[in-house]
Amino acid sequence: MLLVFHDCIVIGAGLAGMRAAIEAARSGLDVAVVTKIYPVRSHSVAAQGGINAALGKTDSWEAHMFDTVKGSDYLGDQDAIEVMCRQAPSDILELEKMGAVFSRSAEGMIAQRPFGGAGYPRTCYLADRTGHGMLHVMYEQLLKHGIFIYDEWHVLKLVVEDGEVRGVVALELDTGKLHRLHSKAVIVATGGYGRVYRTTTNALSSTGDGMGLALDAGLPLMDMEFVQFHPTVLPRTGILMTEGARGEGGFLLNSKGERFMEKYAPSVKELASRDVVSRAEQTEIEEGRGVDGCVLLDLRHLGAEKIKSRLSQIRGLAMDFAGVDPVVSPVPVKPGAHYSMGGIAVDKDGQTALPGLFAAGESACVSVHGANRLGGNSLLETIVFGRRAGASVARYCEATEAKPFPDSALKDACHSVAMVLKRSGGESIYAIRKEMNDAMEDFCGIFRNSVRLKKGYEKIRELRERYKKAALTDKSECFNNELLGYFELGQMLDISECILLGAMNREESRGSHSRTDFPKRDDEKWLRHTLVYKENGEFRLDYRNVSITKFKPQERKY
Amino acid sequence: MKIEFRIKRYNPDDGGSPEPYLQAYMVDVTEGMTVLEALLKISEEQDPTLAFRKSCRSAICGSCAMTVNGTARLTCNLQVLPEVEKMGSMTIEPLHNHRPVKDLVVDMTPFWNKIEKISPYLMPSSTSGSNAVTAEAEELIDQSQRCVMCGVCNAECSSLEIDERYAAPAALAKAWRFVGDVRDGSVVKRLERLSEEHGMWDCVRCVRCTQYCPKGVSPLKQIERLRSEAMKAGILDNHGAKHVEAMAGSVEKFGRLDEAAMTFKTLGFLKSLGKIPLGIRMELHGKMPHPYIVAQIEAIEEVREIYKEAGKKAGLKEKKKE
Amino acid sequence: MVKELKYAYYPGCVSQHMTKEANDTTRKVASILGIGLHDMPKASCCGAGLLTDYDYPLYLAINARIFAEAESMGMDILTICSTCLMVMSTANRDLLADPKLLAETNEVLAKAGLRYNGTIKIKQLLWVLASDYGLDNLKKKVVKPLSWLKAAPFYGCHSLRPSDALGFDDPDKPRSLDALIEALGAESVDFRGKARCCGFQVDIVAEQTALNMTGRRLLEGKEQGANCFVTPCPFCHVNLDNYQGLAEKAVGEKIQMPIFHLSQLVGLSLGMSPAELGLGRHLVSPEKILEGC
Repeated sequence: MLLVFHDCIVIGAGLAGMRAAIEAARSGLDVAVVTKIYPVRSHSVAAQGGINAALGKTDSWEAHMFDTVKGSDYLGDQDAIEVMCRQAPSDILELEKMGAVFSRSAEGMIAQRPFGGAGYPRTCYLADRTGHGMLHVMYEQLLKHGIFIYDEWHVLKLVVEDGEVRGVVALELDTGKLHRLHSKAVIVATGGYGRVYRTTTNALSSTGDGMGLALDAGLPLMDMEFVQFHPTVLPRTGILMTEGARGEGGFLLNSKGERFMEKYAPSVKELASRDVVSRAEQTEIEEGRGVDGCVLLDLRHLGAEKIKSRLSQIRGLAMDFAGVDPVVSPVPVKPGAHYSMGGIAVDKDGQTALPGLFAAGESACVSVHGANRLGGNSLLETIVFGRRAGASVARYCEATEAKPFPDSALKDACHSVAMVLKRSGGESIYAIRKEMNDAMEDFCGIFRNSVRLKKGYEKIRELRERYKKAALTDKSECFNNELLGYFELGQMLDISECILLGAMNREESRGSHSRTDFPKRDDEKWLRHTLVYKENGEFRLDYRNVSITKFKPQERKY
Repeated sequence: MKIEFRIKRYNPDDGGSPEPYLQAYMVDVTEGMTVLEALLKISEEQDPTLAFRKSCRSAICGSCAMTVNGTARLTCNLQVLPEVEKMGSMTIEPLHNHRPVKDLVVDMTPFWNKIEKISPYLMPSSTSGSNAVTAEAEELIDQSQRCVMCGVCNAECSSLEIDERYAAPAALAKAWRFVGDVRDGSVVKRLERLSEEHGMWDCVRCVRCTQYCPKGVSPLKQIERLRSEAMKAGILDNHGAKHVEAMAGSVEKFGRLDEAAMTFKTLGFLKSLGKIPLGIRMELHGKMPHPYIVAQIEAIEEVREIYKEAGKKAGLKEKKKE
Repeated sequence: MVKELKYAYYPGCVSQHMTKEANDTTRKVASILGIGLHDMPKASCCGAGLLTDYDYPLYLAINARIFAEAESMGMDILTICSTCLMVMSTANRDLLADPKLLAETNEVLAKAGLRYNGTIKIKQLLWVLASDYGLDNLKKKVVKPLSWLKAAPFYGCHSLRPSDALGFDDPDKPRSLDALIEALGAESVDFRGKARCCGFQVDIVAEQTALNMTGRRLLEGKEQGANCFVTPCPFCHVNLDNYQGLAEKAVGEKIQMPIFHLSQLVGLSLGMSPAELGLGRHLVSPEKILEGC
């Protein structure tokens, strides 16, 4: 049971976490990352399409900002969006300096492809493996900077004393031992929670851990009702077909062979923002113009050459997981849970309301995505706000003395692990998880209404009670996956309840949150952020104003 | 369709000094189901104690490599039914060449250490850093950039099976990622280190890494590229490079391989003496090759012409690079 | 007999000297079976993989020169060396997959007054017997079924991998050599190392690695009850036979495993004598297991 001190502990080693760690280390801090899977396994690796930056001569950060604000359905904080769009080009160049190689245009410049909701081709990419390329570069830099990696350690608890962060308690999966990591500051960068849904593009490890930790530390989660459903996901497995497929010119067809997006977004068609396309698909499917619960992504007209060079990964995925070669046949796709616009409420520097606690990436909510994120903006968010969080941690650590790690923290964690392992005769966590997935998918999906949401809410409340009595089969200390699954499920049930509460209360339709009983956006009442707090095991809602600087809200049409 | 999965189990927490054993599970497999999906089904419905790594389940995170029916595979993009149809069974074990931790989980620490040892990050010099990455330059490192570090190649590596100190294909492919990058400023230093013992010259060219890599990295191809670059950089004072030089010389001179001369040129006089006892036995069986009496092929001048022309082209390319 | 089989015959360097017995036997076996082997007097060494390390374009050009000779003879190439098979097939794959590469290589060849049009296939004796000639036809020629042999089929590496360049047999579950052994009346012994490496490529560079690898392969076959090995590759033969004594020392066990070239096993079943097969040239004598015959 180690007690180790580092100036800064980063939880999660995806793009945001590693970028933050590198920035903090560059300032001379002793930094360690704690991650339940090895850094290169993090789900940033699966990002396919690309990363946005206004690099083109006739493009501008203002245009990028406008597209992002509009994409967010005006719920994004414009001061934060401005920071992101202004700093995007230099962060891209910084990535190349680190070693990243983006695909090239014929002239040898960084190539850019069109993406949904963007008025300009501004998405930089590495074929259809952009996240993979970036994540491996970030891992290289992590090693270069000598940052310590606690890999396959799962954080159970943020340790808070006298209103400040003092570190974390983590479970070493290999041995089942609990360790104390003492620090001045902690950065949460644990990514999304896609696994609360049944059909999701997210990894099996995307269980929203850090959001749960923050809730337990008394911090609010913001805008959790905004869940992005990606329009092109393989059925059954939920595996992603990049938006780049449409960016390169792919069509969406219904059972009659019609390019139905002409009806829903006459000017940009398939390249409308994701919420618009997903709703259109869902409508086609529900109105009987689907193909076995899907629509068709048709790439055939792009030709074998382009598909093989620009979209080779998704071609492989379609063949392996759907048995379809996009060169010869259209690929059946449907919407699936993809990204969390909401997360731990932070400011532009990643600071939460708790001194010493920072957050970045998908687990944080700055908010730059508002009610709907544009494709290519999530990778951008990770590197811009990861870097900024790292820099602000450096400032914080310089001004702060390390204070002692409280003795009780470890004892509490040991006790809770022992209790779980001791309990017997209870229900399986997998049964509970399955019912949670079904409830979220069926009652809190693309189209919502008060009846469905209430059903979902009641179901999750019931599951939270059952969870308290769940028992494990695996009692061993070494690599106990079931124990890890138990903790993940607890976090996901909390998160599900936050999503449902926010969604039930928000009586309007905005971005990804679409209420059939309140189909209009209502700026007067709802142009504000939702905050959910967990207090004594119960959840409480609050609201906060949106920062509006350059662009006044207007009707959103594509 | 019911399929029997035979899975290697091992838990160090079992009392005494537990030995690995095979456990059978019957799984209802549907069309398209992957091996990883079946493992998840087993752990969720039959036996939650079964340990294995997994994450993205779409062949990009590299977590779920295991030995399936004898060879290392990513389990997430391997479908059960075609595999069973081909191999007749479904046996899943942990990756070879790695120490099992529990069930199908192996200790990857030596794998990461090997990666770390090649200084896996760009080291631009004041001049190299601003070299433009053209589409052509990108193409050169494209395969090596596809690596997901799943460990399949190392698990299948014949040399690593014998010599745990061998750098092994994953790290060597990663090394090419930087040696082949026009922006790197430490190429010669990297190649010198890779030319040391247990380095790139210890590859036996068994082609297992390239055959089984699930991402088309072709580690062997990258090893060949490293070797070529090292020789072009003049790093010749090692057995591997000398062996290749001797071969290239022999083909240019005779059009044939001159085994005896190659041994002599590679090892030098003193070390070649050590081969004498075996040499005497081979001589008795008429197997001892005699150096420098190899017959020339017909039209050897064509071969020499090709050497000359290829040498000219290589020289031009080098110049262009500078 | 079906159609006339004729090939541009490429024995490879090793079988012209160190494993001469493989070359001699192949010629005799071919003549008994009526397979036409036509010499390639101009053919050079393929580079055995080492030329690939030296300079890739040179490797392609040297191999394309070999192919050009076969092309001028109007025949596919038959080799009795797995490494030659792999090295040539890989070059051929690369040249055929990329017209630009073929054009560049032809530019080099042009200096020697040659050109390769990309029409050649490279085959191994194993494939020719198993497929072109056919095991059923072979069976008819067997005069002495080898029923007392428990033969470990040692495919090694280069007759199977990379399968995208070779593609004759399945590297995950090779059967061709097993089937051939069975066609000759012998028992084929399945063992872990059948498609693994003998270590040949690092014999000189990393001797202990090579010897341990050789020893391990031999033990893997022995543990499954094999009383001999059969290999389609002379390099494998060098390691398994010539270096068996050293490999025994490396792994610390006596092995004493006779190793047959593929052609020798076929020759034996066709009634050729041990002397005709050149078995006296082997370092591990197969005498003992031939006593029963």
